[in-house]
Amino acid sequence: MADSGPSIAASRSVARPSAGIALHRYLPATLLLAPILAFLLAFYVIPFGVMLGESMSAWSNDPPEVQETTPTLYQYEKTWQRSRTSKAIVRTFRISLISVALTFLLSYPITLMMLRVGARLRSGILLLTFISLAASLIVRNYSWLVVLADQGLINNVLVGLGIFPRPQRLTYNEWAIIVALVHYCMPFMILPIYGALLRIPGSLWEAPRTLGAGSWTALRTVILPLSMPGVFGGTTLCFAVCASAFVTPLMLGSPSTAMVSQVAAEQLLVQLNFSWGSAIIFTLTTLTFLLVFVYALIVRRILKIDV
Amino acid sequence: MFSERAYHWCIQALGWGGIIFLVFPVFLTALVSFNGSFFIEIPPSSYSLEWYANIAKIHKIGEATLVSAGIAGLAALLVTVLATATAMAIVRYPFPAKAAVTAFLLSPVAVPIVAIGIALVQFFIALDIAFTWYSLLIGHMVLVAAYPVRTIVASMTLYNPSIEEAAASLGANRWITFWTVTLPQLKPGLISGFLFAFLISFDNYPISIFLVRGGLTTMPIEVFNYISQNLDPTPAAFSTIYILIVSVVIIFVERRYKVISLSLGR
Repeated sequence: MADSGPSIAASRSVARPSAGIALHRYLPATLLLAPILAFLLAFYVIPFGVMLGESMSAWSNDPPEVQETTPTLYQYEKTWQRSRTSKAIVRTFRISLISVALTFLLSYPITLMMLRVGARLRSGILLLTFISLAASLIVRNYSWLVVLADQGLINNVLVGLGIFPRPQRLTYNEWAIIVALVHYCMPFMILPIYGALLRIPGSLWEAPRTLGAGSWTALRTVILPLSMPGVFGGTTLCFAVCASAFVTPLMLGSPSTAMVSQVAAEQLLVQLNFSWGSAIIFTLTTLTFLLVFVYALIVRRILKIDV
Repeated sequence: MFSERAYHWCIQALGWGGIIFLVFPVFLTALVSFNGSFFIEIPPSSYSLEWYANIAKIHKIGEATLVSAGIAGLAALLVTVLATATAMAIVRYPFPAKAAVTAFLLSPVAVPIVAIGIALVQFFIALDIAFTWYSLLIGHMVLVAAYPVRTIVASMTLYNPSIEEAAASLGANRWITFWTVTLPQLKPGLISGFLFAFLISFDNYPISIFLVRGGLTTMPIEVFNYISQNLDPTPAAFSTIYILIVSVVIIFVERRYKVISLSLGR
């Protein structure tokens, strides 16, 4: 259990490390961590426990045989069986995966370009990225309502070029949600990848060149694998953000493009069905964590990249 | 076969294309905020400042903004204090299952935000303290707690503990060392942690929507409601002011404390 110098010596001299030594050794960390752990236990762990319990109970309008057999998995079965929820789950993961892929494709070239421009321009771009990260989600979604509006820029350009005879409805569909999510996620992708690229030693940028490899080969075989910790961090965070998207599909989607958070919220706020709402959101939470876990496993075990 | 020239050209074009994608919606929104017409038009056919005056007509906007600022300020302050202790423990002291405990402390960031709202509203109803200012504050603290932990840990790992030893050898006691040596060195981490916690709380809709009822309301809720019920460019004027304030604050804080480097990861 001991992991550094003095206590290894202690555990060798005594057959088993005594509880007193462990207590003394861990006392500062325990005192420092006590407030946040107590806070999170009370207002994060216990509420999630309450929600898990609620998700296994019956709602007053559920069939009587369900009411009698609590705790029950009825709400989870219902989540998979009802087409509104099962479709929302599939849609949520489809939108999230597409958004993460597009965010990555848009962000990676930005980080490569940042390494090539002058110091002033680079800090300007970094500042811009940081301001986007800090700017309100509602404000940024609204800006897409403006861009995609019936008389907005995209429509006017498309009509002006003669591609469409008259303005098209570009908002309130899945692609509008994806575009806004990509826009929202870009800073979450740019910052960790840029950080990872900065940590690649200069010699490793030069090495492929001295061996006669072109820039494309160097990017594919050296730079991309070495920036994987940043890519993993960025893609994971973006995926979590997209999978839990709520405000974006509310503002840019329609009832037929509902994502999981929306469906769960609707059960709580409109139907007052706390049991099913809890089960829906718990399913989303579990699936999100599972996917991130599998992703980390693939990157570590199969691609053999330490992240 | 791609040539070197094509590579450079490609990186520049894609990179600048990406930057334009990131910024142009904000500029268009600013342009639309000066639109003279009732509908969103690009380019505007006439100009006016009418929508800026109209911000005042967003339902309860003044009161809601004060509630949001109060909640965000207090939540950010409290979690920054908690996070300072947490970061000290993570960086300086040994404790069992450190990786797992740290992952747990940072996990609220990865949990769907609506899940936090749904879990808390049921918990608060059970305790009979739902839909109060305090329960809203607690919800926002859970939401933002992980951010300052991240930034303070980042600034502690950059930091040189030998200066503390120097202070101690010159006769400073633990408290004096903490206040005069440790805290000033952690300033970038503390400030960017506070700032992020504040902005994320100030902008939150998905948790607040579950935790407010009756008279209690927040700015994002009122702005969201306005956008969903009205088509005029008033939210564009609001957005322009919001982005301007955030930009000024971030530029000032970055000049003074160099906070961006803390967000680039380890």
